Amino acid sequence: MLALDIAALEMRFPGLDTPVLSIENLHLPAGGGLAITGASGSGKSTLVNVVTGLEPATRGSVCWGDTEITRLPTGRRDAFRAAHIGLVMQDFHLFPGLSAYENVVLPVRLARRLKPGERERALHLLEISGIARPGQPIETLSRGEMQRVAVARALLPKPGVIVADEPTASLDRRIGGEVADLIVRLARAEGATLLVVTHDPALVERIGRHIVLDGGRIIEDAGKAEAA
Amino acid sequence: MMGFILADLRRFKGGALAVVVLIALSVALSVAVTLQERAVRLGSARAAEKFDLVVGAAGSETQLALSAVFLQPSPLPLMSGAVLEKLARDPRVSFAAPVGFGDSADGRPVVGTTTALVTALSPTLAEGAIFARLGEAVIGADVPMRLGAQIKPMHGAADSGGHTHVELAYTVRGRMAPTGTAWDRAILVPIRAVWQLHGMGAEAEHGHDHGDEAPDGAAAEDHDHAVHVEPDAALDEHFDAETPGIPAVLVKPKTMGDAYRLRQEYRSETTLAVFPAEVLTRLYATLGDARSLLLAIAIATQAIVVAAILLVTIMHVGARRRQIGALRAFGAPRRAVFAIVWGELFLLLLAGFALGLAIGYGAAWAISAALASATAVHMPVEFTRADLSLAMWFAALAVLVSIVPALSALRLSPAAALRA
Repeated sequence: MLALDIAALEMRFPGLDTPVLSIENLHLPAGGGLAITGASGSGKSTLVNVVTGLEPATRGSVCWGDTEITRLPTGRRDAFRAAHIGLVMQDFHLFPGLSAYENVVLPVRLARRLKPGERERALHLLEISGIARPGQPIETLSRGEMQRVAVARALLPKPGVIVADEPTASLDRRIGGEVADLIVRLARAEGATLLVVTHDPALVERIGRHIVLDGGRIIEDAGKAEAA
Repeated sequence: MMGFILADLRRFKGGALAVVVLIALSVALSVAVTLQERAVRLGSARAAEKFDLVVGAAGSETQLALSAVFLQPSPLPLMSGAVLEKLARDPRVSFAAPVGFGDSADGRPVVGTTTALVTALSPTLAEGAIFARLGEAVIGADVPMRLGAQIKPMHGAADSGGHTHVELAYTVRGRMAPTGTAWDRAILVPIRAVWQLHGMGAEAEHGHDHGDEAPDGAAAEDHDHAVHVEPDAALDEHFDAETPGIPAVLVKPKTMGDAYRLRQEYRSETTLAVFPAEVLTRLYATLGDARSLLLAIAIATQAIVVAAILLVTIMHVGARRRQIGALRAFGAPRRAVFAIVWGELFLLLLAGFALGLAIGYGAAWAISAALASATAVHMPVEFTRADLSLAMWFAALAVLVSIVPALSALRLSPAAALRA
């Protein structure tokens, strides 16, 4: 598990006068949980992109544990993300033509050989995520099942952090609740720090700490005490 | 990696197939042109190999060479039989065989000649024996007749309004071994039979003291050559100044030097001497020009196809931005993304190339087979070492071409790609 430390972070896009994201200071302890809410355009996605190293920061620093990923070059950022950050996205981003199992191991396989035990771990993760047939082609699964496969994929390399961007937004209420439950449960069981962008009040409730973004700034930080 | 590439290709199998077929057809075009030109060149060169020097009446060199080597039916002017006599007695000549064209049977040329040529073409016969009487024939390896069969020669060809010679039917006595030349389709008969059928029996007034292959001492022969041809009459392969006119004489000089000297001597007002191989070389130069032109067209086609494919794949990468972004986001290193995009296109190009080779080879083979059945000239369809370097060039080009979309995939920012 990894702690998150953000200091003097600023994200600017060309052609925009004001920064799309500006965070003076944010600390999330290792193994903690954080829900991020805000209207669209409030900087949530930009925050996700910069803490996962998908985008370089304009200024300031983002540290996961001892690693300041804002200082890493692209290749090392990619490698860090692959090793330490499990990503779950609103649109699943699974790859048709492959089975559920193949989707889970794909990112690892594209980077290196599977380590001994990773095959079993992948099958185990699928099982506890409620996917009965790992060999089933991904495009024949229901949307809820797809997101479960995506969760299993995020957890395969034993990441210290799980970042979920609107993981339940494209699912109906009941299925969304089940997926939310799965994410929180597995993050706890694996001891991973959990960062979730969501509109789902039930999910926010379960995570505890909750920040609200507006115009790229944190305007509310609730539940810090309990989470820390 | 491979599994992902294959799954991806399966997903876009329509497009992938189109790319493969496009490449295959354009490659097949150049392969077929290259192979076919080579096949025709090699095949006819080998066909001409057996004929060192051809002497005929003054006229077209090309026509003379083509008629002698490929038995192409064409009205050659006749030259005086005295030329044959002179050549036959020349010490520099190992043999001089007259060839009389003009007749055909079932669309196959009936060629009047001597036993010397039969022996030169096929030192040992596949079956039977050489003709020994006027009414006997030796057939080429490809003539579908049995020994003992009767051949009724037709003056000219059936499709050009010929008439059948009723005076004589040849009996097949032997079959030559395959020579890979147009002569495999020919029916070889004694030249004197041809002369007599055409009323050119100038030697009717002469009694020859020579029999078959025996220069002296053979029994004298009495010929009755009004219109009737005596099929049982023995051969007479001695030629003198009274020998009737002939279209061409195939000459086997003893040495290379003799060949050049003979050619020089027989290039005169009334006669023409050619090395068929040389005439063919000149024809190949023309053929080579045609090949260069066709090949240039084929390569231009390939360039257009490659450009079109490049366009399609770059657009395709654009359409796959999300997928590529996701791969990066979920931890696939850039080299993996590069390898996937590069590998997919390279695989398609390679598959297209392989298919194109097969199609081109098949086409050249089919064309050669058709030509061979029409001319009996065996056309070898074969790859050579030079083709290897062409293939290397293609592979190198394929590597380079498929790098372009891979690079464009690398330039995508994963965050931006995911947002798309």
